Amino acid sequence: MSKTKMKKSKRFNNDAIWGYIFVIPILISFVVFTLYPVIDAFIVSFQKYKPLTVEWVGFSNYIATFKSTLFYKSLQNTVVYTIITVPLSMFLSFAVSLMILPFTKKQQSFFKAIYYLPAIASGVALSFVWKWIYDPLPTGLLNSILRIFGISNINWLGNSETSMLSLIIMALFSGFGGTVIIYIAALIGIDGTYYEAADIDGASFFQKVRYIVWPMVKPTTVFLAITGVINSFQVFQNAYLMTGGGPDNSTTMVGLLIFNKAFKYFEYGEACAQALILAVIIAIFAVIQFKITGEGVEY
Amino acid sequence: MSLYKKYSEKEKGKRTFRNTMIALFLLILGLTTLFPICYMIISSFSQPIEAGAASYSIIPKNPTLSSYKFFFDFSKYSFRWILNSFIVGASVTVSNVIFASMAGYAFAKLHFPGAKVLFFLIIFAMMVPYQVTQVPLYILVSNVLNLQNTYTALIVPSVVTCYNVFMAKQFIGSIPSALIEAAKIEGCSQFRLYVNIILPLSKTVLAVIAITTFMGNWNNFFWPFLVTTSESMQTIQVGLKNFSFANTTYFAPMMAGATVSALPMFILFFSLQKYFLEGVTIGAVKG
Amino acid sequence: MKLKRNIALLLSIALMLGILAGCGGKGNGTGNTESSKNTNDTEKMEAATEDVVTALLPPVSATYQDKLEEWAKQFNDENPGITLKITPASWEDVTDKLDVQVNAGSPPDIAFIGSDGVSKYLDTELLVDISQYAEEAQLDDFDSTILNYFKNGDGQYGLPAYAEVQCIGGNRQMLEDAGIDWKKIQKEGWSYEEFREAIKKGVIKTGDTIDTYGFVFACAGVAAKDYFSIFVNNVGMASAFDKELKYTYSSPAMLDFLTDIRALIDDGSMPKELSSVDAGKRWNMFLTGQTMITGKGLSSFEKSAAANNEKIETNDGSAVEGSIEVDYIVLPVPTFSGNEQQAYGAVDGYVCFRGKEKPTDEHMQNVMKALYFLASAERAAETCSELYLKPICKSGLAAYEKLEKPENKNENNTLAVETLIRQIAEPRPDIPADLGAKAIKIEDEVIVPKFQGLLSGEITPEEMYEAIKKAGIEYFGEDGCILE
Repeated sequence: MSKTKMKKSKRFNNDAIWGYIFVIPILISFVVFTLYPVIDAFIVSFQKYKPLTVEWVGFSNYIATFKSTLFYKSLQNTVVYTIITVPLSMFLSFAVSLMILPFTKKQQSFFKAIYYLPAIASGVALSFVWKWIYDPLPTGLLNSILRIFGISNINWLGNSETSMLSLIIMALFSGFGGTVIIYIAALIGIDGTYYEAADIDGASFFQKVRYIVWPMVKPTTVFLAITGVINSFQVFQNAYLMTGGGPDNSTTMVGLLIFNKAFKYFEYGEACAQALILAVIIAIFAVIQFKITGEGVEY
Repeated sequence: MSLYKKYSEKEKGKRTFRNTMIALFLLILGLTTLFPICYMIISSFSQPIEAGAASYSIIPKNPTLSSYKFFFDFSKYSFRWILNSFIVGASVTVSNVIFASMAGYAFAKLHFPGAKVLFFLIIFAMMVPYQVTQVPLYILVSNVLNLQNTYTALIVPSVVTCYNVFMAKQFIGSIPSALIEAAKIEGCSQFRLYVNIILPLSKTVLAVIAITTFMGNWNNFFWPFLVTTSESMQTIQVGLKNFSFANTTYFAPMMAGATVSALPMFILFFSLQKYFLEGVTIGAVKG
Repeated sequence: MKLKRNIALLLSIALMLGILAGCGGKGNGTGNTESSKNTNDTEKMEAATEDVVTALLPPVSATYQDKLEEWAKQFNDENPGITLKITPASWEDVTDKLDVQVNAGSPPDIAFIGSDGVSKYLDTELLVDISQYAEEAQLDDFDSTILNYFKNGDGQYGLPAYAEVQCIGGNRQMLEDAGIDWKKIQKEGWSYEEFREAIKKGVIKTGDTIDTYGFVFACAGVAAKDYFSIFVNNVGMASAFDKELKYTYSSPAMLDFLTDIRALIDDGSMPKELSSVDAGKRWNMFLTGQTMITGKGLSSFEKSAAANNEKIETNDGSAVEGSIEVDYIVLPVPTFSGNEQQAYGAVDGYVCFRGKEKPTDEHMQNVMKALYFLASAERAAETCSELYLKPICKSGLAAYEKLEKPENKNENNTLAVETLIRQIAEPRPDIPADLGAKAIKIEDEVIVPKFQGLLSGEITPEEMYEAIKKAGIEYFGEDGCILE
């Protein structure tokens, strides 16, 4: 009896030590390159920051942010953008990954390459292409196609109703390649024996998906959902390049706002405050997601 | 794959039909996604002229390699940019694959006090927008450590990222603990466990980490832009931007450069295909 | 036993990290690390060490970045003991990088920015007043009005590189076909009413489709700011503040102006989708004959148009698809309600920064030498000539005479630009930095977004005017604004 107990605690200690060892590299990198800047930003958010002097202003940066209507507008824009883009993108990639499965390995590679390619190319170069696609005059690509159907020109990027939609479409089409790759990797890891057992029970395709596939890729789904939300909330490059904030601030995202505050107006302290508020909001979303999906399911 | 109904030889027609329908849909979707890239590649074969003068057409009038030539002639460092991106990308990728999988394994399977807190901290760090972490990081690297314009500055901040650790943890978490327990009972040391069992079973996620990290790093613009002060140390994305002048941009050479810079990624992707497609058979437990 | 293994693993990890870091340092970075170390050391300078002057410069003109290496070498040869080290950056991103460096307290010694950036950087206290280090002769070399663009209060914060007049430009053939006397307009300008009629005449339709618009101005994204700023100058509001430092944009003249702008679109002379036309598009439309007048217009456009014409003539397929031969004519912006022409001057130039540690006087004098070197004589001449401008300093003009002149330059355009430069809006060094900063904020957060909405027809001029008034009162109080 005591022998087993000893063995158990020994193993525990051993595990723990190795746990720490394996974690050291990320810990060092994390502390120096991630934690330190975040703490620094936290400190600066209580200052009216100037490179040479430091002026402590307490919570006034935070108060100013909460009072600013532009902040709420950009927050609303960002939330709308996230809520539409992330689930849609994940659903699309999940469906596509499922569809790629029945093919041979060579064919699968082919499809994967097609979807992943847009993610590889430089965002700046692509934005030029998309600007042409969204060109408002009859020569623009989308408008030319619409004309075939008899619909008149749409001012895609210059109209506050369609500007957000245009950005979302652009994000969807350029973004879901990476998620497809990850989902396929997860799908491949599902043991075939599960399907065989289900076949014996006479399960249909959709039943198999719902009861076997979906739960087994849950960790992946959670990962994609959380990182998707994080990235989406911080989105900045597309809005900056395509619309610069859109007609009447309809596509101003919080990321853009923070960028402007930090660099255009040199109100770096306030920018830090906004960034931290954003981080907390994202964290709240993440916690909700963890709770809903149930974290760390073991098999 | 037994997910789909297995049609017998008699019903081969049905299977082909189903597969064709799916293929058709995937192709159409694929083409739409691919279109911007195609256009980018096609435009790179037109003349090096300013963006304003660029013809918005699908087929170039005069396919020519002069934009590529323009791109390589533009700066004597054009090749150097690609080399730099490659060096930095490769180093970061290798380090990430190793260290992220280690940490992912630790968080997923090894229980040590403080694991949960640490993990949550790491995820939280991802949520702080980079705009405000850039300045303190820059101060640290440039002013304090005096490392600007070196490979170190380009590589070390990304040696292992929170994103990869998170991904590794999720994947490794789905490796049945029974396997690990069995190995431990047979007296396998942790290190051997990691190398001989976890790593082979995680080949898929390692490949994914490798690709996404290399690609993310390759496409990274702002940080390399900040820390390099001479053209010889710039990476490809930074160099590409040099094509925009005041009030005008050289369109086709920019597309040529973008195509050139996407090419290595593509090659890497195909060479790692093997690891993507190799099914991870957990049937090893039975044996 | 296990402990040994642990230590071994730890050591190997440490070794790996060390190799990575070491490898990094050994790359070409070493040479640069040393010189950057020098830059920090120069603040505690010994007379024997080389003084390094750093500069961050974007591609100001097409061959500018190639010439940078030559110029640096030339300066270094002429000035032993000083090393000029130039970092090139792309046009759009140079401000981003500069801003991070300023925020970090370690900006380059010299940077290239637009004159409107002076008030922005003044607040950081890192911008250097060069009047204490410049020699009289150096400052005298420059045209005094243009020099004032870099003045604020009593301090001189930089040297101008060129003065570009931003206006609009037209297609000579189309202007003549529409019966517009462009030569007279170049000399005497035109009123809004004349302009409005003229562009109406320029519209060419087939049935209901418009083939050619009268006027197009790039307004997509942040470019909307250009359309607003360049035109608003001629409504008697050349600056956001009047001589008594009251906010001008809140005056009712703004409402008239906005209504006038909107009218041009409603007339059908400008495309309804104006708010999405970007710089590339507006130039493409001009070259393909889809518009008679295009904006904004720069002197160098004459060169681009001529280049395209050549390509059309050689017929090798490299010309823009569907383009026609176009002679670019510089045209002034119309004046509104009897106000005078206040041409919008884009004056860009070189400014000087200091870092967190106070630099020595000697270092500052060296920086000044480099600053003057970059802004004067041959450098100024070559840069300006590529932009189809004349230098604004005497030494530059002298060098300019020796340069090869562009062939077939339209003399009318040259004269027109000179006229406009004489009518350039006065710089306002008397506006304090914090007021300037607030005006910039209103511009970015209220004026430009609402203007985009106005152009796309979603907001009425009244709504936009109310929003500007509200913001003005919020920032400057009722007394700080012109309200009638």
